[in-house]
Amino acid sequence: MPNVTVIAKPLLQKNDQIAAANRRLLEAKGLVGINVMSAPGSGKTTLLQKTIACLGPARCAVLVGDLQTTRDADRLAQAGAPVVQINTGRGCHLTAAEVADGLATLDLTGRSFLFIENVGNMVCPAGFALGEHKSVVLMSLPEGDDKVAKYPTLFQCADVVLLSKIDLAAAMEFDESRVREDLAQVNSRAPMLRLSTRSGEGFQAWLDWLAAAISAPK
Amino acid sequence: MHELSIAAALLAQVEDLAKANGLKRVQVVRVQVGARRQVVAESLAMAFEAVGLGTCAEGARLEQSEVAMQARCRGCGTDYAPSLRDFRCPACRQAAAEITAGNDITISSLTGDTED
Repeated sequence: MPNVTVIAKPLLQKNDQIAAANRRLLEAKGLVGINVMSAPGSGKTTLLQKTIACLGPARCAVLVGDLQTTRDADRLAQAGAPVVQINTGRGCHLTAAEVADGLATLDLTGRSFLFIENVGNMVCPAGFALGEHKSVVLMSLPEGDDKVAKYPTLFQCADVVLLSKIDLAAAMEFDESRVREDLAQVNSRAPMLRLSTRSGEGFQAWLDWLAAAISAPK
Repeated sequence: MHELSIAAALLAQVEDLAKANGLKRVQVVRVQVGARRQVVAESLAMAFEAVGLGTCAEGARLEQSEVAMQARCRGCGTDYAPSLRDFRCPACRQAAAEITAGNDITISSLTGDTED
């Protein structure tokens, strides 16, 4: 006895609902949520270590996603802010539910920034809202100048693009104009900031961007 | 690789729908997949088969159809269809797209048996 049921309800509605609840929780506590995405090895953890040191650990909290290990959390904890490591097991991106679980264990009182370091991956994280207010996409200079063209959907969702490890420019053949041309095709609203966590070059512009993000109406 | 979490979310919704509509076994699940999600159809079908084992959707066929992307320009408000490689607005040439369609994965219907 076959039976047909017709419905129309977005599958990811549940993820989006949890993401919206995460966002409300952050707003109620006066935080801005920053989703940091990149390939593995672009320098997300190092960026956050230095960012926490500059902003002051008392203003920050961190959720960090990885398939395995607590190595990133251990590094970030040294910066002095509360950190929760989320091991996604097989998952190649964080989900809003995982972020909700992480938020439940963090004391957010009095803090301004929640940094969410996503799993290193340039495809999957773009499709899953976590409750962030801003999305940061990082690409490091040694990865090559074709990253924007190869992974346009990730860059399309960025509110800011960080070009990291620029202290290595002399050792690399990297055509920055090519990156800017590609970015103009997928996302012309996100500024691209060049920086090096090692030399500190360009870091102030990133801190200024964060300061603007916290003062912007949500 | 994100097909696995999509398949798991899909299965949860299929199980809820089957229960709510008295379906004991599901034979066909029809889904509309937004182009922005970059789902590999074969991977999603395989993942759905794997997560469905031992459930009411075991052995169910997953019929997928792709929904093209639509966007609204944040700059000038024009509605247009961007490609995955080029999100520029045809009117003002800014790439400031707000995705308005082709971003979701939606079950359109299920077919199943109301008896074992």
